[in-house]
Formats: sequence, C-alpha cells, structure tokens
Amino acid sequence: MTSNNNVVSFRHKLKKFTTDGAGRLIIFLIGSIILWAFISLFIIERPDRYLPSPMAVILSSLDMLYKGSLISFYSDTLGRLVFGGIVGILIGIPIGLALGLNRTIADMFYPLMNFFQSVSGIAIFPVVVIWFGNSDTTVMIVILYTSFFPIAFNVLSGVRSVPVRYIQAARTLGASRLQIIRDVLLPGAMPSIAVGTRLSVGFAWRAVIAGEMLAGRPGLGNMIFSGQELDNTAQILLGMVMIGVTWIVLDHYLLRPLEADTIERWGLVQR
Amino acid sequence: MSVEAKLIIKDLTHYYPDEYTGESVHALENINLQVYENEFVAIVGPSGCGKTTLLNIVAGLLPYRQGIATVDGIDISGPGPDRGVVFQEHAILPWRTVSKNIGHGLELQRLPKTEISRRVHEYIDLVGLTGFEDRYPHELSGGMKQRVAVARTLCADPVIMLMDEPFAAVDAQTRITLQDELNRIVMATRKTVLFITHSVEEAAFLGDRCIVFSRRPGQIKTEIKIQIPREERVWKDMSSNPIFTDARDEILRLVRQEVTSDDEQ
Repeated sequence: MTSNNNVVSFRHKLKKFTTDGAGRLIIFLIGSIILWAFISLFIIERPDRYLPSPMAVILSSLDMLYKGSLISFYSDTLGRLVFGGIVGILIGIPIGLALGLNRTIADMFYPLMNFFQSVSGIAIFPVVVIWFGNSDTTVMIVILYTSFFPIAFNVLSGVRSVPVRYIQAARTLGASRLQIIRDVLLPGAMPSIAVGTRLSVGFAWRAVIAGEMLAGRPGLGNMIFSGQELDNTAQILLGMVMIGVTWIVLDHYLLRPLEADTIERWGLVQR
Repeated sequence: MSVEAKLIIKDLTHYYPDEYTGESVHALENINLQVYENEFVAIVGPSGCGKTTLLNIVAGLLPYRQGIATVDGIDISGPGPDRGVVFQEHAILPWRTVSKNIGHGLELQRLPKTEISRRVHEYIDLVGLTGFEDRYPHELSGGMKQRVAVARTLCADPVIMLMDEPFAAVDAQTRITLQDELNRIVMATRKTVLFITHSVEEAAFLGDRCIVFSRRPGQIKTEIKIQIPREERVWKDMSSNPIFTDARDEILRLVRQEVTSDDEQ
C-alpha cells in the first residue's frame, strides 16, 4: 500500500517536472549534452580536433582551473563587460531621455547617432587602437560604444511612446517637468528600457570577445582565439560554454527579476 | 451679498488648426459660463461640438487667446491642482498601485507621508475601493479604474473637479452604479463640478444645471435648471420623478435639433 503510494507520488512529481518550464529546460540540456557526447565519441573521426566531447571540455576546464588561468581570464572579461556595459547604459539612458524629451536636441543629434549606430564597434576598433594602443582602455571604449546605441535608441522611442494622456493627467495634478520625467516618462519607458538593456548587454558581450581577440588582451575572447592557434579545440568550446552560461545566469538572476518586478507587475507586457 | 463664481468664462472664442489639413477650425463661439461653489454643471451636446475643447481650456491643457477664463479669480494659464480632471479612460498610471495613484497629487505637493496615507485611506473608503489599495490598475475592472481616477482627483482637493465623459467607456450597468456613486460622493465632499457628457440622461440625472451646446462652432444654446435635491437623485426613483423626466425630454429635444439640423446641411 505504502509503496504503491510512493510510486503514484513519484509519477506525479515526474509529470510535474516534465511539464514545468525549468524541468523542460533541464531535460533539453541533458539531451543536448548526450547528443553532443554521442556525436563526438561515435561519429566524428578526430574529436579532439573537430568536436571534443563534454568530458574533454570539463577536463580542459579543470586543467585551466588548476593552472589558475581560467578564473583570471573569466574575471578579466566579466570585469570589462560589466564596467563597459554599465557605463554605456548609464550614458545611454539620459541621452535617450534628452532626445525623447526635446525636439531641438533630437533634430541635432539624431542623424549623428543614426550614422554612428551603423558603424559597428569592430569598425571603429582600428582607430581606437591607433589612439589608445592594444590596451584595456581600447577594449573598454569599444564595449561602451557598442552598448550605448541600443539603450539610447530604445529609451528615446520608449519616452515618445508614453501616452500623452498620462502626461496630461500628471500635469493637472500639479506635476513639474522633473516630476513628470520621474513619475511618468521613466516608468512609462520601462518596457523599452528593458529591451534596450538586454540588447546593450548582448552587444557588449560580442564587443568584449571581439575586442579581446583583436587587442590580444587576456580574457575569454583571447582564450578562444588562442585555442585555435594552439590547436586546443576543447579550450574553444569551454570559452563558448562559459559565455553562454554566463549570459543565461545574468539574464535569469538580474534582468528577468527586474522585469518581473516592473513591467510585468504593472501589466505593461504579458508573458 | 453677491457670491463670486468659482469658475468664470467670459466671451471665450476658440479656433484651433486641424491636425492634418492645417485649416483653422472654429471650435467655440462666445462662451459665457459661471459655475458657483458646490454646484454641479453638466455640459451636453452633440459630438464634435467643442465641449471637450472647453474642458481642456479650463484644465489649462489648451491655451486660449480670445476671452477670459478664471478660477477663484485667477486667470487660467496652465494646468494646476486647483482644477482636477477625470478623463474618459486610460489616465491612471499603470505603474502605481491604487493607493499610490490616489495619493499622487499630494505626493507631488510634497505633503508628509502620514498625511498622504490618512487622506488616501479616506478617499479609498469614499469610492468603495477598500481592500484594493495595493492592486495595480491592470488588475481592476473599468469601473474600478474610474473610481480610482475620481478618488485621485478629489484627494488633491481641487477648487473644481472637471470631468470629461468619465463614464462613457464603461458598460451600461456599471455606468448607472457610478452615476449613483458620484452623486453620493459629490454630496459628501460638497465639490464643485463641471461635467462633460454626450448622454442626455446622465446630464439630467447629475446636473444642477445643464448647459446645452449647439453643434460646431460650440455655442451655449440653452441652460436648464434641474431642481432636484441631490439626496433624492437615485436612479431607482428617477423614472417616476417628473422634474427629471421633463428636463431629460427637453434636453433630448434640444440636442436632437442640433443633430438633425446637422444632417440637413
């Protein structure tokens, strides 16, 4: 009787797990890793060169952890990403806001911003290298430059999309211009700010990897690049996995909760 | 002793450029209107007659050039908390809870938190939203959102409350409830109200005075006094109240004239 109950409850738990969002993701991940291992071990001829198995990647990471290089690469890259990204976003928000609020400013700077938006971070890289050499500053400037545009443009369109009604209502309650920005325009632009932040952080990721490769600064990007030179494919895959996992963690623990507390709570977006 | 009107509009004429063609539209022609303390004035007229333009001018959202408009003797030159507005819909802020929306006006005036919270609770009770303090607007029905909008306006304690077809977007059943409620609230707060509507029934039910507008350019066609004490204004008694039914039929006739003459053009 008891064992029967246990079976039922186990089945119930299993069913709940397989229909749960996180459960499905875990099942998918495990499946992918098994598939990856299968291809690597049984299909590909020289897996160490073309597609090392998950085990080989783990071993490579243990090796690099032991030597101490992995953590230092990782923290270098993350430091650049966080610093460059945050500064880019912090500059982008007020500039987007100013452009959204003021027609004159928008008319003057919008075409200029549009111009530079199309010139990618990698395209300005050589000039920045001429100015600042193959330095951390160069990498940081490229990250900042890349993360600035998505957030600035999204704040701009977000501010412009706030219904005039809300602004009028606040004005009839006696709101000053600053109070309108604080209480109406910024929260009203939050859906766009969220989208812009996501894009900016995503773009910053690309810039940091490319920047490290081109400037030869130690970090994950450089680790991937040197993996090719050293014929160490496991090291390349390890770098890729770490980038992807970091993004998912960042998204899940930082951006998603932020959105859940604001725009979802306010009913501005449906999930 | 003569009593000075709360809202005075003298010889107000207004044109505005059409958004697309740029042509000048003659919206209001020589409007003269006074609203006295604790009076409920309803403006009724065919759609596009300029009644909302008038309200926007009084609210300070629309600048005017010809004529005079004053509240408490002060020229209207922009929006201000002395003239609270209840809009038709979509005007409470989605990112503020019910109590945060209602207290917004006081927050903007930088009143102490305890004072804000005391008054917010008072008005939440008044409009019957107790228990919904921490809800966000998207969790409320259309009728409840309008209650929040009314409470938000009243909480800031305006000299005059301006209402721009506030119940036009809710269903018929809710509208009747809200009209009854508004009567009760106006009685309790003794507020001066300028109410815009295209519903003849609503105007006759709520207004101490009903101003009938002509079609554009909006002019005051007639003014009808409806002398029913506010405490007797309850929908369930209205169909048997001859003062109400007569006034309603008269206003309806006047508004119809405007609509029909428009068709004949």
